[in-house]
Amino acid sequence: MKRNVLVLFFLSFFVSNLLLAAPPAKAENFTLPDYNGVKHSLSDFKKAKAIVLMFIATQCPVSNGYNTRMVSLYNDYKNKNVVVIGINSNKQESAEEVKQHAKDHGFEFTILKDDKNVIADKFGASVTPEIFVLNPSFDILYHGRIDDSRRESDVTSHDLRNALDEILAGKPVTVTTTKAFGCTIKKID
Amino acid sequence: MRQRLFAALLLSTLCGGARTVVAQQNDTRPAVRTINDKELDSLIHNRNGKVLFLNIWATWCQPCVEEFPDIVKLSGMYREEKIDFAAVSVDYPDELESKVRPFVAAHNVPFNVYVANVKKDEDLINEVNPSWSGAIPATVMFDAQGKRQVFMFGQSPLSVFKTKLDSVLHLKDF
Repeated sequence: MKRNVLVLFFLSFFVSNLLLAAPPAKAENFTLPDYNGVKHSLSDFKKAKAIVLMFIATQCPVSNGYNTRMVSLYNDYKNKNVVVIGINSNKQESAEEVKQHAKDHGFEFTILKDDKNVIADKFGASVTPEIFVLNPSFDILYHGRIDDSRRESDVTSHDLRNALDEILAGKPVTVTTTKAFGCTIKKID
Repeated sequence: MRQRLFAALLLSTLCGGARTVVAQQNDTRPAVRTINDKELDSLIHNRNGKVLFLNIWATWCQPCVEEFPDIVKLSGMYREEKIDFAAVSVDYPDELESKVRPFVAAHNVPFNVYVANVKKDEDLINEVNPSWSGAIPATVMFDAQGKRQVFMFGQSPLSVFKTKLDSVLHLKDF
């Protein structure tokens, strides 16, 4: 009996650790305002073939290193029924700053302001840039980086684009998880 | 005559070489250089009975830069203990001279500071902690057997570093 309790204890410990480490396999609907204060819900995009959520920053050099790649991504997929949404969860970056940054870098995609990092916490996002790709049922099909190098000239694996192309082709995503590398999301204390 | 010239040349070469070795042996300044994945693996696992406090940072990372002086302070507080302090920067290797070395000099860093020279960021992540998301700053503490005991990311205050380091130092198995 004691041994069973012990086994159960260890099992629950490992399972809870696994649950803590892994992002949810399915996202819940949420509503956030963009930098103009207009509210958007995930459920607004149910007709999309894929929803790309990008946790991004205005001040993080790694995130900024991907600015032109984010613009290209949006332009290349906007007519393929793929929705690209930026989310800024950094506590020190205001909606006004996010708006100016978007203007400066030609971001035409929606950028939501996640005050108090509620959505970052729900997704388990910890870094910028960090990507989640969902299907219209909000299943998380891909989680991780945009590609495998901060320096565009060194990229050898276009992980996000590969995932999107497979989704658009009706295929299962081959690489569902990669490591996102970048700046810690500055969350509320 | 030729023989004498040759002997003189040989002697001066040997002396020069010896001077270099002596200079290297006497040079106790901490290293500021690149580190590849094999060297990093060796740094982590060849502990020689010492704990390793390893900070992953970058000159472009504001919270990293903010917490770095506390790590310098911490290394001074534990000077007498069996601990190696080291930092691995994820600036690019070609930024070592222009960004990393000036930062190290400005902060009088008393421990070795390396710039990761790995093919992909993921190589560094997997070497340090495969569960790490890749967010910096990150701090890892390895015990004297090279076993990872503490992993934390995001900016941390000196008091937290101290508590965690004490816990690693006072582990019962060494």
